[in-house]
Amino acid sequence: MWGCTSATKMSANSLENENDKNDKQEPEIVDTIDYSIKHPLHNCWTLWYYENDRSNSWEKNQKEIASFDTVEDFWSLYNHIKLASELRQGCDYSLFKKGIRPMWEDDANIRGGRWLINLEKKQRGNDLDRFWLDVILCLIGEAFENSEEVCGAVVNIRGKGDKIGVWTSDAMHSGAILEIGKKLKERLRIAQKVTIGYQVHKDTMDKASSATKNSYTV
Amino acid sequence: MSASPMARHVESKAIPIRRVALNDPSELPHDYSTTPGGTLYSTTPGGTKIVYERSFLMNLRSSPVARTPPKFDIPESLQKGTPNKSPNRQPKTTQKQTPKKNHFKNNNVQDEEQFQMDM
Repeated sequence: MWGCTSATKMSANSLENENDKNDKQEPEIVDTIDYSIKHPLHNCWTLWYYENDRSNSWEKNQKEIASFDTVEDFWSLYNHIKLASELRQGCDYSLFKKGIRPMWEDDANIRGGRWLINLEKKQRGNDLDRFWLDVILCLIGEAFENSEEVCGAVVNIRGKGDKIGVWTSDAMHSGAILEIGKKLKERLRIAQKVTIGYQVHKDTMDKASSATKNSYTV
Repeated sequence: MSASPMARHVESKAIPIRRVALNDPSELPHDYSTTPGGTLYSTTPGGTKIVYERSFLMNLRSSPVARTPPKFDIPESLQKGTPNKSPNRQPKTTQKQTPKKNHFKNNNVQDEEQFQMDM
């Protein structure tokens, strides 16, 4: 039955039909989802977990958890691991394109920077997990026009305030960076009056982290 | 992915379609080869990006495959429902353990060996 319905819709799928769909929430999607296939992602992504163990080097504490390249494998992973808000202080999750390590020194990151979202302490209870999931969905769904510039994203769980960063590959590519920043703000539903800043990794390396200047803001 | 039991029962289906509402001309893609709101997947060989809208991804969250435990080897401390081993600070996270988000996950949580702790 569903098959027939979608076939009809497909042939009728012209621009003229778009307007009356405007007010409907998430139109047409549910009945066209095929649960019997795995949906391929454009990229293969790797989830990393950082645990603050002082007896180990920073690099050793960065652990590769899993890589996935379908929507279903992503959810199967996400549904079975702790939410960001359930991690201990000092821990991170990172999600990067396969082959890119979640560190400045990686060739893919070394000329880049990050859009940084600083969360207030009280936001851990509500915004943190939603933000992090929405960032992940932007990444794996290739939501950005310039998604080839995106390397990955990191969430830091910290006592003084959690942070989410979206890392891009080249801090000179202002057009792409601004597009990504705007889209990010929109997708996370961050209020217009709140600005978020983009920091170049080189600047972050040179300075104490909190004092790093913003190279771009949106 | 023949590891998936689902993959063996695949039959051909119509290509899913998706409608995207535009509110402003500026939301149109910059080039003719891209459809509004992103590209339709599996079109041009070697061509366009595979783009998924948030709502589409969210709808797949509770699909049967997505609810199966991952084939990956997840460290025990990261699995849902395990307590945080905390050397320095008492985590407030364990009792906060997502009662509200659990409606559909309840089933799988039970499937996990959630009381197996490594000490």
